[in-house]
Amino acid sequence: MAFDIFHRHKLTISGTQAQALEMARLRLIWVGMLMMMGYLAIILRMGDLCLLHHKSTAMLMGSGAPAETERPLRASIVDRNGNILAVSLRMASVYADARMVHDPAKLAQELAALLPKQNEADLFKRLSSGKAFVWIQRFITPKQEYAINALGDPAIHFQEEQRRIYPDANLAAQVVGYTDVDSNGIAGIEKFFNKRLAAGGKPLRLTLDVRVQHIMRQDLAAAIKTFHALDGTGLVMDVNTGQIIAMVSLPDFDPNHIGEATNNEKFNRATLADYEMGSTFKTFSIAAGLNSGKVHLSSVFDASHPLHIDQFYIHDFDAKDRPLTIPEIYIYSSNIGTAKMAESLGPDYIRDFYQKLGFMQQAPIEVPERATPLYPSPWREVNTMTAAFGHGIAVSPLHLVRAASAIVNGGILLKPTLVMPDNPDVPPQGTRVISAATSEKMRRLLELVVASGTGAYAWVKGYDVGGKTGTADKNKNGRYENHANISSFLGVFPIWHPRYVVLALLDDPQGTKATHGFSTGGYTAAPVVGDVIARMGPMYGIKPRMYITRDSIEKSMKPYLKEYKEGQALASVSTDH
Amino acid sequence: MNTGRGIGQDSLSIPEKLRLISWPLLLLVTLTACVGFASLYSAAGGHMAPWASKQAVRFIFGLCGLVAVALIDIRFWMKMSYPLYALGILLLVYVDIRGHIGMGAQRWISLGFLELQPSEVVKITTVMALARCFHAATPEDVKNPVFLLWPLFLVALPAGLVAIQPDLGTALTIAIVAGGIFFLAGVPYWMFGTVIALGLAALPVLWHFMHGYQKKRILVFMHPELDPLGAGYHIMQSKIALGSGGVFGKGFLHGSQSHLDFLPEKQTDFIFTLFAEEWGLVGGLTLMGLFMSIIAYGYFIALNCQSQYARLLGLGVIVNFFVYIFINIGMVMGLLPVVGVPLPLVSYGGTAMLSVLFGFGLLMSAHVHRDVKFTRRGLDPA
Repeated sequence: MAFDIFHRHKLTISGTQAQALEMARLRLIWVGMLMMMGYLAIILRMGDLCLLHHKSTAMLMGSGAPAETERPLRASIVDRNGNILAVSLRMASVYADARMVHDPAKLAQELAALLPKQNEADLFKRLSSGKAFVWIQRFITPKQEYAINALGDPAIHFQEEQRRIYPDANLAAQVVGYTDVDSNGIAGIEKFFNKRLAAGGKPLRLTLDVRVQHIMRQDLAAAIKTFHALDGTGLVMDVNTGQIIAMVSLPDFDPNHIGEATNNEKFNRATLADYEMGSTFKTFSIAAGLNSGKVHLSSVFDASHPLHIDQFYIHDFDAKDRPLTIPEIYIYSSNIGTAKMAESLGPDYIRDFYQKLGFMQQAPIEVPERATPLYPSPWREVNTMTAAFGHGIAVSPLHLVRAASAIVNGGILLKPTLVMPDNPDVPPQGTRVISAATSEKMRRLLELVVASGTGAYAWVKGYDVGGKTGTADKNKNGRYENHANISSFLGVFPIWHPRYVVLALLDDPQGTKATHGFSTGGYTAAPVVGDVIARMGPMYGIKPRMYITRDSIEKSMKPYLKEYKEGQALASVSTDH
Repeated sequence: MNTGRGIGQDSLSIPEKLRLISWPLLLLVTLTACVGFASLYSAAGGHMAPWASKQAVRFIFGLCGLVAVALIDIRFWMKMSYPLYALGILLLVYVDIRGHIGMGAQRWISLGFLELQPSEVVKITTVMALARCFHAATPEDVKNPVFLLWPLFLVALPAGLVAIQPDLGTALTIAIVAGGIFFLAGVPYWMFGTVIALGLAALPVLWHFMHGYQKKRILVFMHPELDPLGAGYHIMQSKIALGSGGVFGKGFLHGSQSHLDFLPEKQTDFIFTLFAEEWGLVGGLTLMGLFMSIIAYGYFIALNCQSQYARLLGLGVIVNFFVYIFINIGMVMGLLPVVGVPLPLVSYGGTAMLSVLFGFGLLMSAHVHRDVKFTRRGLDPA
C-alpha cells in the first residue's frame, strides 16, 4: 500500500507537478530578488544620508570657506560637545535698479512666481517707481538666487549678506543672546564676545551641554505649568571647574524671531535677577559657624520660642519647640536656631563670610547681564540674624550655585564660566573660603536633608543626592507677601565626590492637591532637581551606589538626632520654610 | 515503529525536536532584540525604565513561546489556521465596534500586562489562513479565478477591518504580504497585472475616502518642504538625525538629536534613527546585516519544507518580516511616506514583538517537522 502511494506520487511529478515545481522555483527567485533590491535601495539611501548629508552638517560646524567678501562670516557658537547653538549663513539679498527695468509687469510676475513672500502688485509698484535702488527681498535661498539670476534681467542685482541662525531656537536663548539684522551681538554671549565672533574663525565653544540644558528646561517648564508659577530658572554647575553645564530661564523666546520676544522673556533670571533665597542660605551661615571653630555638629541652640528682636519676630515654619543640634536645625530648617547660632558668632562674622563667598559684588560671568546683589548697609545685628536664613539679602541664582560649589568641593571658591578653557588640563584657580573638614561636614548635612528632611523629593535611588530647600516670602515693593513664595532647591551630587550643583527656582508656585496645597521648595523645586539628576547621571557615566539607603544615612548621624529610631524614618516628607 | 526521517515524525521525542530547532536563527533573533534593548535604554536617557526592562521581559516570554510553538506538530498549526484566523477577525471587529461606541480610535485591548493590538495579530493569522487555503489547491485551482475568490476574501476582510480603524499602513502591509503569498503560490502573472491596474484606477476613489491627515502625509511625503514645521517635521528631523550620525555615529547615549526630543516616537517607529544616530552608518549597516541574515536563513528554511503549507507559511512569515523592515526603515529615511509601522524585534511594543516571535515559532515548527507527511486536507495519511 505504501509503495503504491509512492509510485503514484512519482508518476505525477513527471507531469503537471514538475511544471508547477519549476514555476514555484522561478517565483521564489523573483521574490528573493525583489527583497534584495528593496534592501539595496535602503542601504544606498542610508549611505547617501550618512555620508553626503553628513558633510553638509559638518561644514556648518566648522569655520567654513575663507570669506570672499570683506566681512568674514561670524563665528559659530557651539556647546561643549560641538552641537551648534548659533551659526551664520551666507545669503543673498536681491534688489533692482528700477530705472533699468524694461517691462515691470512681466518682471513682477516672474519674481512673484519665484518669491512666495512677495505679492505681484506690490512688486510692480516698486519696479515701476523709477528709483535707482529698490529692495526686492532680503535673505533669499540659493535656489531662489539661481532662478532669479537665470531670468537674466539686467536691472536685478544681488548683495551678499550673512544671517544668524539659532538651530535650537529657545533652548539657550538668554545665554547665547542674539544679534541685530547686521549681525552685531546685542545680548548674551553674542554681545560679550562680539569682537571675537565678528572676526570669524573657529567656533566659540561654550561649557553648556545641550542635553542637560534640554532636560533642565523641560523639567522646569513642566513644574512651572504644574504649579502655575510665574516663571523659573535653573542652573547646573560643575563644582570642580566652575563650568556652567546648563542655564535656563523661563519664559524664554526664539532668537530667530527676536521681534516677537517680550522683555520678560529676554530677561536672564539666572544671572540678572536678585532673589532673597530663604533657607538655602542656612547652608552658608552654618558653614560659617562650623568653620569658625566655635560651633560644632553637636552644638545645641534653643528653638523653643519665637525670637523677638527689634520690632520683628522670627518663627519656625515647622516648629519643634525644643533645643536643636546643628544637624536638626539644618534638616528641619529652623530659622530660630540658625539666627541664634549666627548671633553667637559675633556681629560681623556672617557679613565677612558672605563677602568672602562673593555675595557683595557681581558674579563674574561671560554675559553682560549681571546682577548686583542687594544687602543691608549699614549691617546691624538683626541683619546678621535674618541673613543667616536668607532674608534681607538678595543675590542672583548664579551667586548661589557658585557659593554652594565652594561649600561642597572642599572649600575653594571658583570663577563661574560659560566658555570652555583653551587648555582643560590647567586646574582652575580659586580662593579658599572654608576648610576641607568643614566642607565634609556640610556634605553630611546636605545628604541628611535629602535622606530624611525637607528635601526628600530630590532623593534619587543610588545617586547619593544632597541638597537644601529654600522658600522665601516674596518681597514686592518692600512688603513681604505671605502667600507668594520664591521656592527653590539646591542639589549636589554625588554628595561624597561632588561633581555638580543643580539649582531649580520657581517664582510664586501654587500648591496642588498632590502637594497638599504646599508651594514650598521641598514640594515644587526638589522634584525638578531630582529628575534632572536622575536623567543626567547616566549620561555622564556616574555609577549609582544602590546600597545607600535613607536609614543608613540617618544612622551615621545618630548621635546628633534626638528623634532617630532604628528602622523608622525620621520624618517623612516634612514641610519647609 | 517509524524511526527514519520522511516516514512521519509523529514519534519524534521532545529532545529530538529540540535538537532539530535551528539555534543559529534563534541566536540571530536574540542579537537583534538586544540591539532593541540597548536602543530603548538609550531612548530613556540611560534608564531601563520605562521601556527596555519591559521589552526584555516580553522578549524572554516570547522566546519561550517560540520554542513551545516550534515543538508542536506543524499539522496541528495547519488545523488551527482557520480557527486562529477567525479569532483574529473577532478581536478586530471588537476594537472597531468599541471605537464606534465612543472610545475613539483605540486600536488595542488592554490585557493588563500587555496592550493587545489585533492588527498585529491578524498579520500572522492571515498568513496562516492563506497557506492553509493554497495547500489544498491544485496547480489548476490557482489559475482559476473562481477558486481565488476565497483567498481574496481571506485577505480583504482583515485588511478592510484594519483600514477602517483607521490604520492604512498596516492594511497595506497585510495586502502586500498576501500579494507575495499569492505570487509564490503560483497565481498567473496576468491576474497580478489586472489587480495592479485596477488598484491604480481605484486610487482616485481611495483618495476621496482618505482622512485629512492621511492625505496630508502623502502630499508631504512627495513635497516635505510644504510643511516643514507640521507633518513634514518628523521626516526632516529623522533625516537630520540620521545624517548627523555620520560613519561611526555619536556614540551610545550621545544621540543629541534624539535625546533633545527633536525626534518623535523615538522608542517606537523612529528607533532606527536613534540607533543610527548613535552608531552611525556602520551600526545601521550592521543591524541591517542582522536582519538580512535572519531573512536569508528563514528563506532557506522555508525552501526545505516538503509540504506546500509549511513552505508558504514560512515564506509568508519571512515576507511579512521583510515588509515591516522595509517600510519602517524606508519611512525613517524619507523613501516612503510616514506610516505607523514598527521595526520588528527592535521597536518598543508588546504585540508586535510577540506576533513576530510567534511567526518565527511557526517557521521553526515547519523546520522541525519538515519531513512530516501531509494530505491535501492536512490530516494524517490513512
